[in-house]
Amino acid sequence: MPAPSSGLYKETYERDSCGFGLIASLDDAPSHWLVHTAISSLNRLTHRGAIAADGKTGDGCGLLLKRPESFLRAVAAEAGIYLRGRFAAGLVFLSRESGEAAAARATLAAALARQGLEVAGWRVLPVETEACGADALRSLPRIEQLFVNCPTAELDEAAFNRRLFMARRFAEKARERDPLFYVPSLSASIIVYKGMVMPQHLVQFYPDLADARLESSVAVFHQRFSTNTLPQWRLAHPYRYLAHNGEINTIQCNRNWATARGPLLRSALLPQLQEVLPLVSLSGSDSQSLDNMLEVLLMGGLDALHAMRLLMPPAWHGLDAIDPELRAFYEYYSVHMEPWDGPAGVVLTDGRYALCTLDRNGLRPARFCITANRCLTVASETGVWDYPPEEVVRQGKLGPGDMIALDLKTGVLLSSQDIDQLLKSRHPYKSWLKKGVRYLESDLVDPRLAAEPMDRATLSLYQKMFNVTQEERDDIIRVLAQDENEAVGSMGDDTPLPVLSHQVRSLYDYFRQQFAQVTNPPIDPLRESIVMSLQTQIGPECNIFEPAPEHARQVVLGSPILSQRKLRQILAIEEVTHEFIDLQYPPGEGLRAAIVRMCAQAESAVREGKLVLLLSDRYLVKGRIPAHALLVTAAVHQHLVRTGLRCKCNLLVETGTAREPHHFACLIGYGATAVYPYMAYQVLFEMMRGGRVKLDFAARLELGRSYRAGVRKGLFKIMSKMGISTISSYRSAQLFEIVGLADEVVRLCFTGTESRVQGADFADLEADALALARLAWNPREAIAQGGLLKYMHGGEYHMYNPDVIAALQAAVISGDPAHYREFAQLVNSRPPSTFRDLLALRTAARAIPLSEVEPAGAILARFDGAGMSLGALSPEAHEALAIAMNRLGARSNSGEGGEDPARYRTEKNSKIKQVASGRFGVTPEYLINAEVLQIKIAQGAKPGEGGQLPGHKVNDMIATLRFARPGVGLISPPPHHDIYSIEDLAQLIFDLKQVNPTALVSVRLVAEPGVGTVAAGVAKAYADLITISGYDGGTGASPLSSIKYAGTPWELGLAETHQTLRINDLRHRVRLQADGGLKTGLDVVKAAIIGAESFGFGSAPMVALGCKYLRICHLNNCTTGVATQHNVLRSKYFTGLPEMVINYFRFVAEEVREILASLGVRGLAEIIGRTEYLEARPGVTPKQRKLDLTPILSSAGLAADAPQFCAVASNAPFDKGELAERMVRDLLPAIEGKRGGEWSYALSNFNRSIGARLSGEIARRWGNYAMEDAPITVRCTGHAGQSFGVWNAGGLHLYLEGDANDYVGKGMAAGRIVLRHPRRAPFVARHTVIMGNTCLYGATGGELYAAGVAGERFAVRNSGAVAVIEGAGDHCCEYMTGGAVCVLGRTGVNFGAGFTGGFAYVLDLERNFVDRYNHELIDISRIHPEAMQSHVQHLEGLLERHVTATGSSWAEEIRGDLRTFLPKFWVVKPKAASIDSLIDSLRRAA
Amino acid sequence: MADKNLQFLDIPRSDPPKTAVEARVRDFREIYAPYDAATAAQQAGRCIACGNPFCEWKCPVHNYIPNWLKLIEEGNLFEAAELSHKTNSLPEVCGRICPQDRLCEGACTLNDGLGAVSIGAIEKYITDEALRRGWKPDMSNVQPAGRRVAIVGAGPAGLACADILVRNGVQPVVFDRYARIGGLLTFGIPPFKLEKQVMEKRREIMEGMGVEFRLSCDVGRDLPFGDLLGQYDAVFLGMGTYAPVKGGFAGEDLPGVYEALPYLISNINHELEFPGAAQALISLRGRRVVVLGGGDTAMDCNRTAVRQGAESVTCTYRRDEGNMPGSHRDYKNSREEGVEFLFNRQPIEIVGAERVEGVKLVETHLGAADARGRRLPQPVAGSEEILPADAVIIAFGFLPSPPSWLNEHHVRLHASGRVRVSAGAANAFQTTNPRVFAGGDMVRGSDLVVTAVFEGREAARGILNYLAVA
Repeated sequence: MPAPSSGLYKETYERDSCGFGLIASLDDAPSHWLVHTAISSLNRLTHRGAIAADGKTGDGCGLLLKRPESFLRAVAAEAGIYLRGRFAAGLVFLSRESGEAAAARATLAAALARQGLEVAGWRVLPVETEACGADALRSLPRIEQLFVNCPTAELDEAAFNRRLFMARRFAEKARERDPLFYVPSLSASIIVYKGMVMPQHLVQFYPDLADARLESSVAVFHQRFSTNTLPQWRLAHPYRYLAHNGEINTIQCNRNWATARGPLLRSALLPQLQEVLPLVSLSGSDSQSLDNMLEVLLMGGLDALHAMRLLMPPAWHGLDAIDPELRAFYEYYSVHMEPWDGPAGVVLTDGRYALCTLDRNGLRPARFCITANRCLTVASETGVWDYPPEEVVRQGKLGPGDMIALDLKTGVLLSSQDIDQLLKSRHPYKSWLKKGVRYLESDLVDPRLAAEPMDRATLSLYQKMFNVTQEERDDIIRVLAQDENEAVGSMGDDTPLPVLSHQVRSLYDYFRQQFAQVTNPPIDPLRESIVMSLQTQIGPECNIFEPAPEHARQVVLGSPILSQRKLRQILAIEEVTHEFIDLQYPPGEGLRAAIVRMCAQAESAVREGKLVLLLSDRYLVKGRIPAHALLVTAAVHQHLVRTGLRCKCNLLVETGTAREPHHFACLIGYGATAVYPYMAYQVLFEMMRGGRVKLDFAARLELGRSYRAGVRKGLFKIMSKMGISTISSYRSAQLFEIVGLADEVVRLCFTGTESRVQGADFADLEADALALARLAWNPREAIAQGGLLKYMHGGEYHMYNPDVIAALQAAVISGDPAHYREFAQLVNSRPPSTFRDLLALRTAARAIPLSEVEPAGAILARFDGAGMSLGALSPEAHEALAIAMNRLGARSNSGEGGEDPARYRTEKNSKIKQVASGRFGVTPEYLINAEVLQIKIAQGAKPGEGGQLPGHKVNDMIATLRFARPGVGLISPPPHHDIYSIEDLAQLIFDLKQVNPTALVSVRLVAEPGVGTVAAGVAKAYADLITISGYDGGTGASPLSSIKYAGTPWELGLAETHQTLRINDLRHRVRLQADGGLKTGLDVVKAAIIGAESFGFGSAPMVALGCKYLRICHLNNCTTGVATQHNVLRSKYFTGLPEMVINYFRFVAEEVREILASLGVRGLAEIIGRTEYLEARPGVTPKQRKLDLTPILSSAGLAADAPQFCAVASNAPFDKGELAERMVRDLLPAIEGKRGGEWSYALSNFNRSIGARLSGEIARRWGNYAMEDAPITVRCTGHAGQSFGVWNAGGLHLYLEGDANDYVGKGMAAGRIVLRHPRRAPFVARHTVIMGNTCLYGATGGELYAAGVAGERFAVRNSGAVAVIEGAGDHCCEYMTGGAVCVLGRTGVNFGAGFTGGFAYVLDLERNFVDRYNHELIDISRIHPEAMQSHVQHLEGLLERHVTATGSSWAEEIRGDLRTFLPKFWVVKPKAASIDSLIDSLRRAA
Repeated sequence: MADKNLQFLDIPRSDPPKTAVEARVRDFREIYAPYDAATAAQQAGRCIACGNPFCEWKCPVHNYIPNWLKLIEEGNLFEAAELSHKTNSLPEVCGRICPQDRLCEGACTLNDGLGAVSIGAIEKYITDEALRRGWKPDMSNVQPAGRRVAIVGAGPAGLACADILVRNGVQPVVFDRYARIGGLLTFGIPPFKLEKQVMEKRREIMEGMGVEFRLSCDVGRDLPFGDLLGQYDAVFLGMGTYAPVKGGFAGEDLPGVYEALPYLISNINHELEFPGAAQALISLRGRRVVVLGGGDTAMDCNRTAVRQGAESVTCTYRRDEGNMPGSHRDYKNSREEGVEFLFNRQPIEIVGAERVEGVKLVETHLGAADARGRRLPQPVAGSEEILPADAVIIAFGFLPSPPSWLNEHHVRLHASGRVRVSAGAANAFQTTNPRVFAGGDMVRGSDLVVTAVFEGREAARGILNYLAVA
């Protein structure tokens, strides 16, 4: 079953996500009821898991129980096992082969014996295999229960557990090669039952769980959604202590440092610890590794509260208001442990505590309630079991960085504050730090930017040696310093991959940044920077188990980018001893040998006690060449990790190779502690001296600081792309894919990094360095001009060079096939620039006459336009594309910018409607006017980032369509705030299929290692279409570094996806599309052969319409009128016609037909996935010839007749939404007759997206608003599932008495949603959470009234809805561009980040809102009754409607005494808007 | 400025002011005034810095146009001059006489109705102004390579070759049969397009760089070619094409019929006040002049004749206006200055008893395209007419005029007379004699100045490679 290694699929890519929960008795009173309730709750989370192709195998679920002692004694006795007073029990997975199983038992017994423990007996656990699906049965282990007696009463429970742990570790090490041997738990405190079954079958599978004698006081439960269909039994949660929902984005880094740190760990409690290294599993799931680390910390003597706070600290760097003692606690430990950052929600129990915690971003939902029977329930959703509303004593949610813990010993429920209070006072951390830590002054003004400025000749030498071009000086380095930002550009990267290039390219160019998509989200470095930090320490790491003042001896830097002064300061500190390692070597030595020598030098220096290794290429010597700093940094880091020395030293890199953020990210990602980029400073200094940097005097003095500020933003962006918040969690995380380096390089320097196609080896890299050195030492040679960013004669090849553009335009204007052939010839015979250029068609087959090939129409139907928004494109260009595609029978894509309703149902309608993270103009009517709904997860040009539309492109029309304000730039958040994991995507797909059941849902991904596995998950989330974009896709505006360094070629991504889907038996369920740089019929044919059945085109049809690839789309001055909103340019200079696009696509289709004929096949379908039609052809350059592209052509070991393309009409969800269908049946006559009326329904948490089916039916008949005058009222009770009232249309009024989960009113266009707590609820409504996270996300209108508190990110990207709530979580009103939000209570932090339109009222009783709002774009003011009469009236009106709708007693109270409350309200508005205009604009919108 | 990005819309293209027609036809001075710094910056700022610089792509020497436009916009004149010289040895010349409308400016993205950036005028401004302010090429890093190369011909190819060689430490010695450098730049192109002090300034600069000129020395006559081969490490030939294309019709030898080049040279010699020039001057004052041909040389003849005081100047061309091969700018200037154009007219005979009395023309229409895509003019039967004339100048272009001594030194030619280079040779522009390189018109046939510059530079790189001067 595991994939053959020849292809691109790897099991290690597996990602998972899930639903989780915890039920605990406050009194630690065991009961079977609790176990039973936990199981039933698990069952109610089925929609958060996934089901395999066999329809029965779940991705795994399980229970972690505080040990049910009496039950275990009973079953042991029945099995004839004698138990002593203290015993342990555990579950053991064994090989099904009895010899192997016996050997494993013996190993374990022996290991236990060595710890002085005795096996009491083995109980063959009763299991019912009927409960398993076929896939699960295939991998089912033999499951036994092991009982171990504690030999002596002197061993307490903790010591006994430690011995059990050591015994298990030894046994695990001994049985490393046994794939099935696994011990889910072996403890005196807890026990685990888990398996690869669906929750509903768990009890059936383990009859123990149904046994009424099985009583426990704590149950942790978990339901898993794995992205592929080959999950393993051992990977079901819970692990030994915890169950986890989400991903650990930092896992690579954490694992690497766990390895590096292992040798430092010493605990008196675990004398043999060093014998059981590594402590953390380096493969398997991230959660498993986290559990491993947690276990080590617990065994080493920390308690669960301390251990979890250390592993997943809240964001403390950026919070000014934090208690200094508490800050000291976190800061002290930050030296010794980098955060294991999520997105993560963790529930755990070790028998002493039952706790739940969220990481700093709080991206996973966790709701809790305490019921009258003194029971605490925490779960991903509210309403997982049916407690009567009047019995809920208290309910709430966990926010970012929150922890809630039940101390089972004392029965005390601890809040985050209680826990922090406890932890910070254990040691005098603050005074330790005060004595030990040296904070280096940050040098704001540094006139000596380059204290030793190079003369021109020297600078020229260095620039040539390190390949600095004029282009880089001007367009990259200068911009970083001048704008304190990365340079922005547009269109895509159309240059060859570095391994294919004929030029000497930077080693950094071979490294592609990894990014989060679907299974975990990027985070938002722009709007949520409070969670981010670059703080870097220099000093030795110490043993975490022995807190001591001397362990706080550190030099603390605000950032890892050093100025010269700072480097000098560090080196001058007495106790900071350093070793200078010269990166240069004599060419005769050989690059590889030189690196090995430098590693040895580093090792002996650290052994001598040197604290800092300074790797430097600062002092060039003729006759020697510099080994690239990245190669040596990475190799030294790896070497020191292997020798157990890494944590004793710090790597400082003084290099001319590092100039832009990507370079720093590479160096740090491979282990550098800090970097001193002297070359960049020298260049800046020279440009300043020469007057090239135009700044006033003061700014010139701060040039270095400005440059570092620019780099810092870039680093934040790169980290956030992977969802990583702190540089310490990024350091050595190796979050790159290498494209084009040989294995020998990867093995020595970049061990463990993905590198799939070989390429340049040491000899090639040395040849590059020698070539540069030859130029560098030749004083007559000037520095190169460049050509990497823009076409330049003699510079890098560009696939959209002027010849190509001119030829294509000549062809589409003339309509002459001969001209098209010239164009196709230019493209198809270009120097190899993409991997497909090195793959040739096998022409052995017998050609057939062209007439026998399927008609062009059949091919055209497979062509889609890539998503290009109206906004990026002019309306003329956007409409011309739509008309052309519709006439061709193909599909155009609206892009992320809404669409004018006047275009619906005409030939200007875009058949594909995009749903991206900004949700601009996404309304029910928009969604029903589509054949395909595309969720843009990532964009090839800039995966991991949101779109941006510069303000000057937002004219009145664009603003109207996007529900935004003219002239204000629009940024889409990096993540979709409703997709933080794969089950969230499944939910969004469900939302879309509910509102428009006839549309296909497409998900757009970008190629990176593991994209195939993500795609498998997407297929299991019921998407119908998956697009794989290459790195070379276009963009209307993006930082240049994103265009250049993120994403990989689609050839790799498509092949991996095709192979993975086939191996997982999912290929027939989804359509697969290739997208990125497609230009000719040959491109189409090759993409089909690699596995695509559908093809996306972006740039080429734009060029057909007149675009000349000017790369100025972001400036709104496109002279061809294609990518501008400027009236004159559009009306006078746009010359594109639909016919040109039609000509282009017809030409391409005809070329496809000709190639098919030459291959002897009659239709495109015959070659999809048939890689035997392609063969690798030798490259032109030495590097090209070393590439190995066979993984792209692998059949993955499957027969050719296994499905190669989609065979179903649509991928129907498991959840049939029966209640929603019933509602449609009930209400359709009223909708059709526009009659109004009132209906009632009871809801449970699994009734998801309630309202969407109705809104779709309404929008289909009446549009967004036309039914508002005859509204339908639907009254619901209970716990609403996710997405209550999603895409709500005008005329639908939803009332809920109860509470709701995440995404209430998401994408609401009109109508009304009202939520109130049950009338009988005993808690205080206004302090109690009533709905989950991300409610009103992307709403464009309508009203929402909720008498309770909303979760995190309420009204993100709201652009028109009016809402009244009584409290909110963090990040409320983020990215808001319109509408009004009234919060009658406390809000979380970061209120109004990115808020550019609309306004809010916030009632601030505690008078601390000032600390809680984001000051960047908004200001706040008091309401003065006299001067602001309209606001007073407006607020009164809101209160009145809120009271009428919800019956809120709190609002009633405020209204009744408005004079008292009014001074406590703030009006929040964008700085740019005048206070008087606010209400007017709201009225106009309404 | 409201929006820098829309400068090209807000500020129209503005060429440097031209001298009024009445004034300019009275002398031979250049007709375009220089830009001032502010205008140059503003006009340069119209460049939108395309990702696909079509201007650079179309430019035969691939000037870094957007980059030096940006430098000028930002006021970094000397850096712009440095950069401009990186790709072009004679930028101030090309700025004046390149047919920009067919090259960079024609390809400029803004040329679709928005008004191309005035690249040529700015190119001219950069070097003129930089030199005026004392800029000189930076030779501080040049280390002598101990090699000497002879260059035959001080025209654009030879000068460009010398420029690259001297910057790489190789000593160039340039021979020319005339007393001034420049070749056709000095003796062919009339001063109203390129004033002669421009070349004088260039000579001064090049001599300052270390280039040695041996002028008034006709290699092959005054100095045997073999001597050069004996005394130098390599030789570059950049001798141009001087054989005029003949009309091949009756009456070409009649008095009053002139070849274009001797006509232009006589005028320039006169303007330069060379000894004896007055006697040799072909003056067309008071004549009715007919110029045959539609290229740049024809325009030069037209305008020279106007300035000499011809009674009328009529220019005939066998294709139509849109198919004229030369610079559109020169055509426009000719018209402004009073030249009459007759399109679709092919001369078939020059008539006259003793001397020229007229030209017999036949009307043409454009027929099918030839192999190069140019439509061939077809005579219309019965449309002959006679255009009266006192003087006729034939400007049909030039053919290769290889010196006879090439063969004995194993420098082989194409059948057309062009020198054969790079055929199987290891180094660019190497002839069949490995020590002899050639470039410019004598290699590619009569072409633009800028292509000659390009070939001279490339040949210099071939020579450096051959001499192993890395």
